[in-house]
Amino acid sequence: MTPFSRRAFATAAAASLLAGCGGHPARRTTAAPSSGRRPPPTPGKAARPLGRSVPVGLRIPAIGVDTPVIRLGLAPDGSVAVPPVTAHDRAGWYRHSPTPGQLGPSVILGHVTVGAYGDGVFRHLARLRRGDRVEARLENGTAAQFDVSAVRTVAKADFPADEVYGNVDRPELRLITCGGPRSGDGYLDNVIVFATLTSAGP
Amino acid sequence: MRRTVLSAMTLACTAVLATTVPAFADDATPAPRRTPAASASPVPSEAPTRKPTAAAQAPREEPAKKRDRGQVAVVPKGAPNTGVTDESSGSSGTESALIGGGAAAVLAAGGAAVLVVRRRRATGA
Repeated sequence: MTPFSRRAFATAAAASLLAGCGGHPARRTTAAPSSGRRPPPTPGKAARPLGRSVPVGLRIPAIGVDTPVIRLGLAPDGSVAVPPVTAHDRAGWYRHSPTPGQLGPSVILGHVTVGAYGDGVFRHLARLRRGDRVEARLENGTAAQFDVSAVRTVAKADFPADEVYGNVDRPELRLITCGGPRSGDGYLDNVIVFATLTSAGP
Repeated sequence: MRRTVLSAMTLACTAVLATTVPAFADDATPAPRRTPAASASPVPSEAPTRKPTAAAQAPREEPAKKRDRGQVAVVPKGAPNTGVTDESSGSSGTESALIGGGAAAVLAAGGAAVLVVRRRRATGA
């Protein structure tokens, strides 16, 4: 074998290796959120209910969330609509639920992942722990402060609609995203954070 | 000499074919791919090919049962689909095609260079 044929062979082999390695980029892997099954919210001292004012922002310092909040309704199939899948993912308030601080369960949803765009705004929601602070900024300029009372990971097939949407005797907040193992292009579980109003301020 | 050139050419052609086939096979199917557009459907993870409707702020709503005295006026059906995984080959297919094409181009250029050098040597230039 002459030096040139050796070089040609080496070039071909190197190019084949490069092409073979690049053809299958590593898939994003998600660690299943630590399904911190916690007891249902326990009664505690809650602040007085606020008047109705639509949420415009949400801040959760413990997991680095500071996002605008859009309004969500129902999808044509009767399920709750979710925020659009965009690069700048936002949270959404379910507009048929009370506004944050009103008496009842105010429901805010966000994606855990947004497909090719990567992490969603609620990517680390399952990391929240009891006592973590959640702040909802309202349209009237005030902010409702909530304390996390429970974090649950539940199978979508057993979604606890009554616990999430059912009546309560104080202002509460529900933060919902997906979690658990993946199935096709979705997730099998939901992560639900229960929080209680503790104070309100400007 | 001629045999060496021929063997080099054969090797190069084989390598080109080997690299281009997987690159095209990865993205050649006309299977619907989720298009992460700004106006996504309200249920993206269940119906990725659904025609995008209006923005999520103003979705069409079907009449749903209302609770008379419920704090949540309309209780949605089922569980929210708040996670879209990156399973589609949206970007990876394009990436593979680019890499495969680049490798093929490199091989073709290398083969051509080898040929030119061989011919010059053979003619004694």
